[in-house]
Amino acid sequence: MNRLRTAGLLALSLAGFLALLFGPALGVRAGQSSTVPDIDPHVTAGSKNAPIVMEVFSDFQCPACKTLFMTTNRQVLDNYVSTGKVFLIHRDFPLPMHAHSQVAAQYSRAAAQVGKFDAVEEALFQNQEKWEQTGDVDGTVAAVLSPAEMTKVRALVKGGTLNAAIQKDVALGKLYNVNQTPTTVFHAKGQTFPYSGVMSYEILRNFLDQLGK
Amino acid sequence: MMQSSPLNLRRATNWIGRLVLGGIFIYAGYAKIFLPIMHPRPSIGVALAFFALQVGSYQILPPGGVNFVAHTLPFAEIALGLLLIIGWQLRIWAVLSTLLILGFFAAVVRSYAAGMQINCGCFATPEPLTLWTVIRDGALAALALAMTVFAFIEARKPHPWSAPQPAQSSALPR
Repeated sequence: MNRLRTAGLLALSLAGFLALLFGPALGVRAGQSSTVPDIDPHVTAGSKNAPIVMEVFSDFQCPACKTLFMTTNRQVLDNYVSTGKVFLIHRDFPLPMHAHSQVAAQYSRAAAQVGKFDAVEEALFQNQEKWEQTGDVDGTVAAVLSPAEMTKVRALVKGGTLNAAIQKDVALGKLYNVNQTPTTVFHAKGQTFPYSGVMSYEILRNFLDQLGK
Repeated sequence: MMQSSPLNLRRATNWIGRLVLGGIFIYAGYAKIFLPIMHPRPSIGVALAFFALQVGSYQILPPGGVNFVAHTLPFAEIALGLLLIIGWQLRIWAVLSTLLILGFFAAVVRSYAAGMQINCGCFATPEPLTLWTVIRDGALAALALAMTVFAFIEARKPHPWSAPQPAQSSALPR
């Protein structure tokens, strides 16, 4: 009987090892290619040669995206992007459930063309509650741009050419299995780490430090 | 004394519980430490720091608590899984496993009810927390509870493989 029991335990151990061996095949893909395609230099921050690349798939009307931008990514910009450790890429991922996301993405893309992406991104997130109720994205952007810049931005938005760039970002997001915003995809040393949701800066800092080692 | 049947519902549940929960615990801990879904695999430090992000997304613990949990939980899961499979002092490990799984279940239910759009972080994969996650964790919690209760009941009975005890003699010793 003891032999039978031992055989049972051995079989269980074997099953555990098999699970360890074949388990990876059951998981969702996380590590893919380290190459970051289609980078629009107007919506990036930092050095392209930074050891860590952070792609942030964001929707200007999403409250969690606002939280991530206001609480965490600003500190990342100050402490990691400005020191050359992180290359930050903004990716548009306007969700269909948000009525004004697409328009906001168009305005931010147009502002990027005139070199004012940072100011418009800040204004859109800071005043999110206002323009999401009124739909006045134009007014929100106009408040932080000069009249000449605003004329160019309006012309670009009317031109309708910006949607292609936004759709490229959305397609890339789907390649990474992005299905919610914000989703941040970290690239370092040939590895890719997708993460959905808001991150606290204190915890993110540890992760970035480990990645940079 | 009448010998109990070698296989009944309680013993079968205990075996299934030990096998299933033990295997899941071992794999969950291993996946968090080594991130087997990644090629090339990152260092353990990176993997645990990435797991810390997922623990933090539940917004239950302060940063210090998040880092503590992220750096100890995967190892505790592997140890608990092995102890469950070995079966030594089963009642202790069954109780601990149940408490741990109930903790996971409470965290998952809270996040789902609050509409938090986060990843589960259960197996270190980018798996969104959905109703399926709640149902799965609930089923595992039920299995752990049943295993624990049955482990205590079975401990009071003679082991089915133990030799039958000799009948008590009524004769007085000389």
